[in-house]
Amino acid sequence: MWGWRSSRTPVVLTATAVFAVVCLLPLLYMLSAALAGPRTGVSRVGVALLDRRQSGLLYNTICLGMGTTVLASAIGAPLGFALARLALPFTAILRIVLAAPALLPPYVIAMAMTYLVGSLASTLTGAIVALTVGLYPITMLVTEVAVRRVEPRLEEAALLVTTPGRVLARITWPIVAPSVIAAALIIFVLAISEFSVPGLLRVRVYTTEVFTAFAALYDFGRAASLAGPLLIVSIAVAASAGRRLGRQLIATRRGLHGDPLDTFQSWRPLALASIGCLVVVVLAAPLAVLAREALRAESIGDVLRDSRDAAIHSLLIGLTGASAVTLVAVCLGHARARATPNVGAMLDALWVAQFAVPSTVIGIGLIGVWNRPGAGGALYGTPAMLLLGYLARFLPIGALSVAAIVRSIPESHEEAAAVVGGGWLRTMVRIVIPQMRAGLLAVWVVAFVLGFGEVGTSILVAPPGESTLPIRVYTLTANAPPGYVPALALFQSAIILAPVALLAVCLGRRRTS
Amino acid sequence: MTQSFLQLERVTKRYGGHGGIADVSLAVSAGERVVVVGPSGSGKTTLLRLIAGLERPEAGEIWLDGRKVAEAGRNLVPANERRVGFVFQDLALWPHLRADENVKFAADSLGITKAERTTRITSTLELCRLDQQLARRYPHELSGGEQQRVALARALVGAPPLLLFDEPFTGLDADLRATLRNELVALQHRLRFTTIYVTHDPHDAETLGDRTITIRHARIEPAESLKR
Repeated sequence: MWGWRSSRTPVVLTATAVFAVVCLLPLLYMLSAALAGPRTGVSRVGVALLDRRQSGLLYNTICLGMGTTVLASAIGAPLGFALARLALPFTAILRIVLAAPALLPPYVIAMAMTYLVGSLASTLTGAIVALTVGLYPITMLVTEVAVRRVEPRLEEAALLVTTPGRVLARITWPIVAPSVIAAALIIFVLAISEFSVPGLLRVRVYTTEVFTAFAALYDFGRAASLAGPLLIVSIAVAASAGRRLGRQLIATRRGLHGDPLDTFQSWRPLALASIGCLVVVVLAAPLAVLAREALRAESIGDVLRDSRDAAIHSLLIGLTGASAVTLVAVCLGHARARATPNVGAMLDALWVAQFAVPSTVIGIGLIGVWNRPGAGGALYGTPAMLLLGYLARFLPIGALSVAAIVRSIPESHEEAAAVVGGGWLRTMVRIVIPQMRAGLLAVWVVAFVLGFGEVGTSILVAPPGESTLPIRVYTLTANAPPGYVPALALFQSAIILAPVALLAVCLGRRRTS
Repeated sequence: MTQSFLQLERVTKRYGGHGGIADVSLAVSAGERVVVVGPSGSGKTTLLRLIAGLERPEAGEIWLDGRKVAEAGRNLVPANERRVGFVFQDLALWPHLRADENVKFAADSLGITKAERTTRITSTLELCRLDQQLARRYPHELSGGEQQRVALARALVGAPPLLLFDEPFTGLDADLRATLRNELVALQHRLRFTTIYVTHDPHDAETLGDRTITIRHARIEPAESLKR
């Protein structure tokens, strides 16, 4: 529809170039470092895999991934069904509350667990539980979208001849199962890619070994060869899941039609009681225990004063990062939404795979790309590296989200603008973007909270003397005075949850108005 | 190249081997009113989208007002530079803009002064029987017939020499269809624009066209019925 001469061309090309340089280049650098060269060659990857010490790493990593996947799916799938098919009160707010643990940095949850259950948390099982709390919302949201996409008449037709339980098992579940399985694959990849939880709980997995090899032993070759298998598995599994899920990853209200069905309403009391218990366990209890521990600090005011610079840096970089992610994501997401089905599916797979790349691998990749003499290394050692890290980690999920939002706007709206003479930029500014304001706000908020809690990449690329709040929380865990770290973690959680709470209030008001 | 105002020469556009149109040639004179009929999926909408520049032909050429606007694999003139009016089947009214703002967006692209633009918008809204009160409403606050009028006003405000209609009266009751059809005929007589009108309704075909062509299985049927 838009010719090559339209303003779309330079804008989309620029956004693509940003994605290629910031997201793909570090990844390609790490892949080539892992698979080529005398010190880091394929043989070294093979040796690393066969080594007895490394086989323990492999075992732990797989157990962490499988355990988290099973537990998160068992919690998330029923919740997703309940949100879609039971007429629960304040569904929009309930959804945000249930999804909130995904926005809290996982190491904050792990830290709360250590205060709750002591040394029991510092085990593989503890890491599985902490990651489950942070990842079950993915299954929940994907399942809800999938169930809402099921035409209610299919279930109603079955309800005429059988019980609600059988309808769920024989009609609803088979239709939504592929989505739930795809979500499970994504959770598996995110769990094996996670660095902060196993790092904090002292569970040895690939990501922590990559970090140790690079940051403690200064052995880039070993770090790269350890990252190799992890990277390949992550990309392969995530790309497959992304291809399966694609447009279902994030859906907007306009694309969904399934309403609650009367017949399932008898399950409501049980669902509400379960949800209440879950909210206490995954959100209220961790925050309460952190608050209790924070009160042990000599002066909470001093704690916050000590970390004022780090908090300001985090806020500034979080705000800038979220804005940059949203801006570039609008260009990429729109291009994806209007791409041909094959190109679109390929981009979905690429972005999901990119999002699943372990944060420590991205960090080392960024250092490898930007730490060089001359103009090419001008950004290295500056706060811009943190911004590049945020873009590398969260641009893919931002682009996926925007693409889903754009798809909910009929293409004919843009075509109508084009045939009356509107150029691409004017059509975007006056027709497309105004229709996705709420969605873009949500993308910005998610990018901000994810960026504000980011630690795996930041800890590697932050310039000397430029700490962020998550880096401070993470590095002080082992040797800070009592109450110091919980107070910081609580402060961090409050900053993250504030915009989420605001979003919930806005949704609540919109619902009641 | 040609005396016709619009000419399609052996144009093909297929979607994965099915749908679309194949090897279609068509000539339309200036001021002519052509009605396109045919079963669902026969390629009627594709024909309009190719003329408007919303699709690229895989083969063939499209000429508009003496200028080649598309050839195999390329749109030489993009949609926003063809000066073609299009009334979509779903109307595609922008939900966040009021009725007059929908029309204004189109007028803003005309490269005329603000005063001229205002005059043009007002007269077009009047032409389509949209008073000030209706013009200040959002699309969801308008009835089906009023929405049709807004879509028509938006297409007309640029005074395009060619107007394309893709079953715009679908879903309206018979009385309203008849009213809108008569209004459109009156506008055609008054403004003398060239139209291509896609429809399923035989009454539309009778009233709105000088000529009816039938598309079946992606091709124009050889027997064209000439009215009058």
